[in-house]
Amino acid sequence: MKTKISAFVDGELESQASSEVIDALEREIESRETWRIYHLISDALHDTALRAEGFSARFADRLAAEPTVLAPGRLPTERKRWVALSAAASMAAIALVGWLALAPAPGQRPEALPGVPLASAPPSGVAVQPASTQSLQPAARQAVALQREPAVSPVMAIPADVANDYLFAHQEFSPGMSLQGMAPFIRTVSGPVNAGVRR
Amino acid sequence: MRAAALGSRALAFSLACCAAGSSAAQTSPGDGRAWLQRIYQATQSLSYTGTFVYQHDRRSEASRVTRMASAQGDVERLEALEGEPRDIVRSKDGVRCYLPRARTLKVDRHGVARRFPAMLPEQLTELLKHYTVRVGGPDRVAGRPCQSIALQPKDHYRYGYELCADEATGMLLRSITLNESDTPVEQFTFTQLEVGQVRPEAVEPQHATRSWRIEEASVRPADLGAQGWRVDTDLPGFHKIVEVVRVLGEREPVGQLVYSDGLAAVSVFIERAAGRQDSARRGAATVGGINIFVREVDDHIVTVVGEAPAASVRRIADRVRYERPQ
Repeated sequence: MKTKISAFVDGELESQASSEVIDALEREIESRETWRIYHLISDALHDTALRAEGFSARFADRLAAEPTVLAPGRLPTERKRWVALSAAASMAAIALVGWLALAPAPGQRPEALPGVPLASAPPSGVAVQPASTQSLQPAARQAVALQREPAVSPVMAIPADVANDYLFAHQEFSPGMSLQGMAPFIRTVSGPVNAGVRR
Repeated sequence: MRAAALGSRALAFSLACCAAGSSAAQTSPGDGRAWLQRIYQATQSLSYTGTFVYQHDRRSEASRVTRMASAQGDVERLEALEGEPRDIVRSKDGVRCYLPRARTLKVDRHGVARRFPAMLPEQLTELLKHYTVRVGGPDRVAGRPCQSIALQPKDHYRYGYELCADEATGMLLRSITLNESDTPVEQFTFTQLEVGQVRPEAVEPQHATRSWRIEEASVRPADLGAQGWRVDTDLPGFHKIVEVVRVLGEREPVGQLVYSDGLAAVSVFIERAAGRQDSARRGAATVGGINIFVREVDDHIVTVVGEAPAASVRRIADRVRYERPQ
């Protein structure tokens, strides 16, 4: 029987013989133990992480003791993932502002063509994330959809200095400040950091 | 062991019941309003120093914020603790932003801005027209017990907010901005906070600014309508709250109109295209909870910036037009 169980574990047993083994597994504790050990050996050979002795029994016990949750959890997993990503990304310098300069609308004057990125002195070497359309916020994604007019690939740059002036000027008038205090001002100046680091 | 596990589970269950019970008792709108007022009071009156983390766009950044309340006028200071040193001080004289690496000091003596705008009862009423305030259960942030409060937008023209306010003082310990699909776009979280006495040195930046470049942003009231500018915004709930002319950086004066629903704000900047070196005349960008949209209108560049969904920012931008005054 042990040879048959071994072949069964390796998936080398024909269906008729397989049925016999399954029957044996159902009937005999000894066969089940053999089956478990062979799987353990197989796992070890295939470099799968070994489970601790008695794992299955403990798992089954704990699963049985777990109360049935009737109410769904409130927090979406999305948020947890986001926080984790933010934390991880704090190490990496990532472009702050994804800028999409759009193609001029039909009928717009030709001199309105976006020739140069918005930043008056575009910091050299400030690479924009590749495949940016995927990582961008919905706003930018929408912008991508918008620029389908005449097909011009989006010109991307980091208008950090310029954007910061607007943000700074905008911030002080926002009623949200009266609840958040100074904190939102950090938005206005977080731009040039990466540019500075990478320059 | 199993009995112990079951016991602790029973305890957790009964705690959850209590929490649900108490939050059910606290969800009357009046309580939400009272909490917002309490947060506002705390933000405007306390002395404190703390460290908070700002998370957005897969980045996170720590800063220290200090506030000193005094009879001579309150002073607040924000210092970036990571990356390039940046220091912002706000007092009754205005806002000063120190950028030591660029040897630049940006000064904004708000001629009209002041402590703008106060969370007055009527403003709170305005806010409550567009957001549903829900008082949630207890939570903990920066080691302090806090109360969670949700500001759910009544339509998709604005973002939602999940707040957590310190139970002891009312200070806002955490603020999460949620977009239309309830996904966080930015988050401010205190990791440490001390409320109480703050020494004056703590709000005084130590920068020798003698040889620095100073950018003065003079702000003065203006009537952009008289100059021919029309912003016929039909964005529900957003009303014009400010109309000024200011200087940004070292460029020509820029007109600024601010629209707000009582909480979120969107600024419309209008400036002559000729005065700008850059020539990206149309575009969109996102920084955490802020959306930016730029378009050109009659040889002027219109830049719309606000803590609102991209579609809302765009909608305001699209309504900017120029009519030559007769």
